[in-house]
Amino acid sequence: MSPRGRADLSPRGDFSPARLRLADVRVKGWGIVAGMKRRLALACAVVLVEGGCQNMPEAYAPPLQRPAVENFHPYRMQAIVSMSDDDAQTHFVQDITSLATSSWRWTGKKPTVRVKARTGADLRYTIDFVLPEKHFRETGPVNIAFLVNDRVLDRAHYGTAGNQHFEKAIPEGWVIAGQDITVGAEVDKVSADLGIVLARIGITQ
Amino acid sequence: MRQAAAALFGAGFTVAACYAAGTIVIDRLGAVLRRDERIPLAFVLGAACLHLVIFAILVLHIGYWPVFVAALAGIIGISLRGTAAQSSKAAPPLSWPLRVVFGLCAGAFSILYLVNAWAPEASPDGSGYHLGFVARELRDHGFQPITTNLYAMLSEGVEMLYVPAFAIGRHSAAALVHFAFAIALALAVLAYGRRIGKPWAGAAGALLTFASPVVGASGSAAYVDVATAAIVFAVFYWAEIWDEQKEMRLLIPLGLLAGYAYAAKYTAFTIGIYALGFVAWRSKRLRPVLLVAGCALITAGPWMARNWIWYQNPLAPFGNWLFRNPYIHIIFEHGYSALLRTYYMPSLWPLPLEVTVRGGFTYGIIGPAFLVLPAALVALRYQAGRRLLLAGALVFSTYFANIGTRFLIPCLPFFSLAIGLAFAESVPLLGAMMVFHAVASWPPVMKRYVNLNCWRLVRFPYKAALRITPPEKFLMENDYGYAGARLIEEHVPKGEPVLTMTGVADSYTTHEVLVSFQSAGNQALADTVNMGWDVELQPRLQRVFRFEARPARRMRVLQTAQAAYPEQWNVHELRFYYQGKELVRNSSWRLRAWPNPWEVQFAFDNSLATRWRSGEVAFPGMYLDADFGSEQMMDEVRLVTSTDFEKIRLRVESMNSSNVWEYVAENPKLEAGTIPAAIRLMAISEMRERGVRNLLIYDSNYGAAEFAKDPEAWGLKLVARGEDTRLYRTIW
Repeated sequence: MSPRGRADLSPRGDFSPARLRLADVRVKGWGIVAGMKRRLALACAVVLVEGGCQNMPEAYAPPLQRPAVENFHPYRMQAIVSMSDDDAQTHFVQDITSLATSSWRWTGKKPTVRVKARTGADLRYTIDFVLPEKHFRETGPVNIAFLVNDRVLDRAHYGTAGNQHFEKAIPEGWVIAGQDITVGAEVDKVSADLGIVLARIGITQ
Repeated sequence: MRQAAAALFGAGFTVAACYAAGTIVIDRLGAVLRRDERIPLAFVLGAACLHLVIFAILVLHIGYWPVFVAALAGIIGISLRGTAAQSSKAAPPLSWPLRVVFGLCAGAFSILYLVNAWAPEASPDGSGYHLGFVARELRDHGFQPITTNLYAMLSEGVEMLYVPAFAIGRHSAAALVHFAFAIALALAVLAYGRRIGKPWAGAAGALLTFASPVVGASGSAAYVDVATAAIVFAVFYWAEIWDEQKEMRLLIPLGLLAGYAYAAKYTAFTIGIYALGFVAWRSKRLRPVLLVAGCALITAGPWMARNWIWYQNPLAPFGNWLFRNPYIHIIFEHGYSALLRTYYMPSLWPLPLEVTVRGGFTYGIIGPAFLVLPAALVALRYQAGRRLLLAGALVFSTYFANIGTRFLIPCLPFFSLAIGLAFAESVPLLGAMMVFHAVASWPPVMKRYVNLNCWRLVRFPYKAALRITPPEKFLMENDYGYAGARLIEEHVPKGEPVLTMTGVADSYTTHEVLVSFQSAGNQALADTVNMGWDVELQPRLQRVFRFEARPARRMRVLQTAQAAYPEQWNVHELRFYYQGKELVRNSSWRLRAWPNPWEVQFAFDNSLATRWRSGEVAFPGMYLDADFGSEQMMDEVRLVTSTDFEKIRLRVESMNSSNVWEYVAENPKLEAGTIPAAIRLMAISEMRERGVRNLLIYDSNYGAAEFAKDPEAWGLKLVARGEDTRLYRTIW
């Protein structure tokens, strides 16, 4: 098999390393056994020939070519904090509580996380959260402002409970490559100091 | 507690099936054995037979626990219906002083070993590869070729017995099976002493072997060394029985066990030579020799065949220079073998003291009592002594290929008995030696004189054995690789492999763990990943050949110098140019390399994070060869390389119309290469291309800080953190 397991084997190889080695081995082998009895010599020859009988590849075609260095972008940048991440807490800035399961956390009024982006181009704000039915009955419809570096990217009105997703492009110049970015949301109404149930928040490219 | 009971039952059931299989064969052969020798010999012979049954089950991919239970129960059932007692006769009784000295000493060590074997398996190799493969075979319900781990290529003669035990009682059951071999070995040595009329020599031999610290450490873990010793000694024993009774049929167990010794551990093959030589010498006929060889082939042959079919090398993972294959680099075998011959010891002169008293380099000691080994030569005055020393010397002859102390275990019974025979006329001296050895090998005494790194039993973990101490807690405290294995198990998506630079306890994870050095593929992958931080591996140099423009259908770069270990020839990219423009690679090209033809594409993939490596110390005649399919004009050949080789000398050649290579250019101009800013990202991208998204790095690994400092620069995200490990996953 090729290193990547996808190369062609040439059926027309006219020169094989395996054959070369076999020839070498035969010559050397005969020199070694010249003075021995014929039966022993034959046995030695069989062993040596078997040693040369290996499944050597004939030739490979060039593999898929990797992108040139200057165009090397194997993935789109993603700086999202999932509440299920082991290191999620290291990104918290404010208002994300310890009321949680392994995949979500209750927030306060203005949950905010800190992330870093290696580029400022083509970024999108993204958040997944839940407005739980029971909690929603107490707060009623809510307005949420979505924030990047404390600037309001957009506002949305939520009149029903349930799973929510919000995503929007971040204008050029709001984010400076390589610097810390705060990404957050601000709920206009809370109940018992609790705002939303947060699953993930951050920026993607 | 249920786990503890299951472990005992799994082991007991397997051991009973081994014994039953042995008694069936012994009774069918009509072999006349004494009762004291029948038990250990039947068990070991049965193990050889049962291992073939398990092998067949795994080849057929019907490795479900009901199948194992049915097979084992069937064997036990057949044996119970047989004539077990007919062929055994009583042995003369042992004197009471012997019973007291031997019973007390051996009894204390038996309890110590039993408790350690019963506790959760925490030994490095036991919880690593020995049971790692057993667990995998059970998950797969059969054998699968594993080309990413050289240890998978070793024969698994003893591990086959661990399969049913593990299926029932998990890890500890396997260790308890090995413990049973330790008991069988001691009983066999004791019985042999009685057979030759020297019961004190037998008792001394048995205790010297059994209480040896390295035997205790290995024999109470899921290793295979003590089992190998039992098998090797059983070969010797059956040879003696055959020599006494001269029944042709007795050569069948002799041959089966000689082959099984190879199946248990390659280095034990020499006992097969002893068996063949002994039979040839004593019978002076070819037929008995052929019978032994044929029977040996039955038990050893399946492993050779498996390796030849799957790994293109019947001797895998060794002998790769003879049976070249894509799975093990020859230079790795070269370096690994050299390491095993020294274990970093500056000189081998202190080796006798190292393996008897210190044990820091070679991991374990056989005990200070073995310092009297030269006196064993006195046993040459007995016929039995001469045979024991000859067999022991043959088994010992492979020791210098791996000087780890546990590689002495297979010759211990022979040398122990020879020591016993040498002092056979002085019973008080033998008794004193036995007591001295027992005291010196007792863990609290041992720790006063051995090196801190000496591998030995240090606990009496009865609470862990009974599962009063939770296994998780015990393993976290005692198994270095356990935490890494659990980190992988808990955080890596099901079925995904993990690359790591240091091994983990494979048997405690269901994931495939690719350890950097354990196969050619892993080495290439680790080489790529390490290229992200190790400047020595990065493409910092370009070797440029410029020549008069010429048409060529086929070009090669030939290496003409002889280097020394560990220098190999490495090429990141090989490019061809005409008038400053690179020839575009297309699918009609055909690429060849010698040696290591399997990785030639790494030099033609346009990635500066991969490189073709010769996989051998550079020698004249190595080449990289490109056939363009049609004539192409060119005036420049450029190799992008690292700087980690110096003695390489290169020459460009072109094939003419008569298929003869012609000189084109040599002495390339050296130009500085440009390291791409995204080299780390490129390295991880390559890792992902090869289907690996997870990377486990120990804080002690070279380059660990580079990953930890800025994972995103690599395209990685820290997924979980252990006490001394970090688990990363590709971001995309």
